[in-house]
Amino acid sequence: MKPTWVVRAALPLALLLLALLVVLSLGAGDLPLGPARLWAGLCQRDELAATILWQVRLPRLCVAMLIGAALGASGLVMQAYFRNGLASPGLLGVSSGGAAGAVVAIGLGWSTVSLCVLPAAAIVGAFFATAAVLVLARRGASTERLLLAGVALNAMLGAVTSYVLSNFTLTYERNAQIVFWLLGGLEDRTWEHALMAAAVIPCAALLWPLGRPMDLLSLGADEAQSLGVDVRALRRRLLALSTVMTALATAVGGTVGFVGLVVPHVLRLLVGPEHRRLVPLSLVGGAGFVLACDLLGRAAGGLRLGIVTALVGGPYFLWLLRRQA
Amino acid sequence: MAAATPGVNALTIAGASVPGRLHPVELRLTPGSLVGLIGPNGSGKSTLLQVAAGLLPAGPGQVAWQGRPLADIPVVERGRQTAWVPQEAAFEFGFSVRSVVGQGRFAHGDDGRGVDEALRRLDLLGLADRPVNRLSGGERHRVLLARALATAAPLQLWDEPLAALDPRHALEVLVLAEELKRAGHALLLSLHDLRLAHCLDRVVVMQAGRLRAYGPPDEVLTPELLREVFGVRARVAPGLTIELP
Repeated sequence: MKPTWVVRAALPLALLLLALLVVLSLGAGDLPLGPARLWAGLCQRDELAATILWQVRLPRLCVAMLIGAALGASGLVMQAYFRNGLASPGLLGVSSGGAAGAVVAIGLGWSTVSLCVLPAAAIVGAFFATAAVLVLARRGASTERLLLAGVALNAMLGAVTSYVLSNFTLTYERNAQIVFWLLGGLEDRTWEHALMAAAVIPCAALLWPLGRPMDLLSLGADEAQSLGVDVRALRRRLLALSTVMTALATAVGGTVGFVGLVVPHVLRLLVGPEHRRLVPLSLVGGAGFVLACDLLGRAAGGLRLGIVTALVGGPYFLWLLRRQA
Repeated sequence: MAAATPGVNALTIAGASVPGRLHPVELRLTPGSLVGLIGPNGSGKSTLLQVAAGLLPAGPGQVAWQGRPLADIPVVERGRQTAWVPQEAAFEFGFSVRSVVGQGRFAHGDDGRGVDEALRRLDLLGLADRPVNRLSGGERHRVLLARALATAAPLQLWDEPLAALDPRHALEVLVLAEELKRAGHALLLSLHDLRLAHCLDRVVVMQAGRLRAYGPPDEVLTPELLREVFGVRARVAPGLTIELP
């Protein structure tokens, strides 16, 4: 049993940590801003600081937090859905599905038509991947099955991406755009991107009340059904939410791996498996984790976000696999 | 086959079937009955229990609880009316024993009523704060039974509740089942131990997806039937008898 004070203080502590990361993230950069200048910039009283904050750092910060919250919560939902602590949007190929959808949209030149095209294409791609995982996992979602299904899906969807990159007649800029975007990063993110990802917020609000039934679902679908959970409706809602959130994160941030795996897992170790706590915590924790990784990458001289999350999450995942075996 | 008690049946299964697993079945359970479900492996016991619990479609047939067709009962209310205990007790996540038993109150708005009593009855008070995924098989089964008890549902469907339990806990569960019966609950539980089946009021014998026989164990479990259904020779002989002190 976890000490109760840890469980109770977890959300306030996580919020405090997130606030601290927000301040650090806004202050750090080529022109470091102290708290006083930060405040002046936010209030538009310092012109240079205001420009840097409002044009560069704030949109980047918002995008980072939305991506993190979306991926953290998606991972949590998938782990409860498949009753497997190793399920996550990246490993199951849902992120790759979103990426493939978005790449096709960029490749066809649709992404310039409207702001909504890229996220919409990512959502379509992610739903294809989710459907494929569901079919493959119908006969049981053991770790081996899920991971192998993920390997196959990731490879196939990667092939779609490669095909677009190699066979479409693309301008050099468009190719570069795809490649940089695929690497997963927060460089040059604008308010437009933040707006694209803002749909994560209503998704999170819809997910919020599902924590309790997720507890029951995570211990077995038939059991949950017999205890009074409308399992079909719950599953539909959970899948839709996690897929859309993953797709949105991918649409604005490219493929950022391991957030959905690491965040819910660490939180479960800290506060236990109750989803009423884990849902808000993984939203906040995901946002904080991505901010921290971004800060790390910037401190290391400009490592892209996707590289940092992989460097942090990869070893953690391998450690988990070893522990599970 | 139907019991002659007037009033509404706790469970009515009329012509329910599952392709390849269960031929059309008729079964009625009155309130205050304790019925054992026996039969060889693969004879359809679990399938019948799942159909009765509304977890598998009844095909062309119908399932009703307290006289109400299942289709008319909203999902949340089903959680208050019937408890189903699965045969396999596997937990991926480390919920505490107390919180899993507390899930039995989900359909009651998580009011937590009767959880402590359920823990006590299944001898789980000492394990209440332990994570369920670290328990032994028998302990996990007791957690599932405690959760079913916590629902306070009038219809209890237990799939092999005794198979994983040690002799004392198995007997205690039978005593508990007897008490629930006397309090007016209807219980249908599958089991393999033919000697324990003799402690029950009635048994249903299944063979190859069909109901083969129904009635008091003394009348139904004849050596001829046991030989035919299970392929074993039965005889009454003095041997080891166990009971609670």
